[in-house]
Amino acid sequence: MSAPLVVLRGVRKGFGQRLLFAIGSLAIEAGCAYVLLGPNGSGKTTLMRILAGLDRDADGSLEFRGAPASFALYPERLRRAIVYVHQHPYLFHTSLRHNLEYGLKRRGIPAGERARRVEEAIAWAGLTERRTTPPGKLSGGEKQRAALARARALEPELLLLDEPTSNLDREGRAQTLALLAQLLAERRTVVVACHDQEVIDLPGFARLRLDEGRITLQSG
Amino acid sequence: MDLLEPTRQAFALLFSGDPELWQIIWLSLWVSVAAIALIAAPSIALGFLLAKKRFPGQRAAVVLVQALLSFPTVVIGLAIYLLLSRRGPFGSFELLFTPWAIMIGYMMIALPILVVFTISAVQGADPRVYETARCLGADRLAASLTTLWEVRFGILAAVVNGFGRAISEVGCAIMVGGNIAGLTRNIPTAIALETTKGDFAQGIALGFVLMLVALGVNVLLALLQGEGGLR
Repeated sequence: MSAPLVVLRGVRKGFGQRLLFAIGSLAIEAGCAYVLLGPNGSGKTTLMRILAGLDRDADGSLEFRGAPASFALYPERLRRAIVYVHQHPYLFHTSLRHNLEYGLKRRGIPAGERARRVEEAIAWAGLTERRTTPPGKLSGGEKQRAALARARALEPELLLLDEPTSNLDREGRAQTLALLAQLLAERRTVVVACHDQEVIDLPGFARLRLDEGRITLQSG
Repeated sequence: MDLLEPTRQAFALLFSGDPELWQIIWLSLWVSVAAIALIAAPSIALGFLLAKKRFPGQRAAVVLVQALLSFPTVVIGLAIYLLLSRRGPFGSFELLFTPWAIMIGYMMIALPILVVFTISAVQGADPRVYETARCLGADRLAASLTTLWEVRFGILAAVVNGFGRAISEVGCAIMVGGNIAGLTRNIPTAIALETTKGDFAQGIALGFVLMLVALGVNVLLALLQGEGGLR
């Protein structure tokens, strides 16, 4: 059996005197999808932000493909491998196409390949008609789909999605659910923090529960 | 006082291509533009650092820059005068009473405006901008530039305000430029001088140009902002 994609060890995070969570060990296997469950305030978003290198003030360490790394000195190469999508994704004030191109440019992907991936991502998200639309004119559901497409186009090794269906209307939620189901079908390594029962019930998710400072992998 | 006759003379001066008048206008424009072009990038970078970085004395530094905003420009002029005068540390460069001295003065006057506006724009930026850029693989510099791009209308307003302040500045320009005809006389110093001499025609003509420039840069800003500026 190959080594896990990511292993967290001894991760402790607190705010002041209050301990939010203490994770002895957690392995994220490549090609597996996880839904991260837990009550509000249990630290789901914080854990995702630690994994993404956005919160570097946590004790413990992580291994990525067997290579150790610290949270405080989060390696730049991990930023290319792990992509986090906010609960309320931010789209830059340019066109949709430029938004999708942003991370590809940062990775030095050649223009031709960039254009191909952008077009493919726009079609995947069903936003072909909105290619040149400024983000301010997109609906909440379209923004969420655009953010998913932007992250997927980067072909990250680990995709972290924070409450991707929250605050969406029925139509936006259904479209986002369909994209999530596709991500699962594509065998992407993904962790989705979520309360939405329809997302939780998607076939293929392993369930992680973060509650009272502990994380457990649940069967079923 | 009859305002009609000096106003008619003012427009006659402008449209006759009076060389002295146009030399004054040209000097004002190039010195102001050059000053802003030189000071904008370092000021915006400083404003960004003061807004984003946490370091000991950061708050004191912000208060100091804000205080510089309300500094009398003649005091800034006096400081530059002392630095550039023959006995000053930079006296050997012989810059005093040249357009270069005025440019330095304009740079010092525009600097706190640019820095404070940039701090305000960057602090007002959505915190997700920088994080999103980082999450998409941008390094710190690229994420910082992306943040500045996202608040570009605020930054543009900073540049326009800095330019407006520079081109209309009198006190500092007189102190370090000396208001020498054909060399350092610019629009505001010429207006001040000609008005005291009772020559209202040139003053009105130059005042009209100054207002036109102010209107022009603000129209340009609005056009650049487009719908985005109203977001």
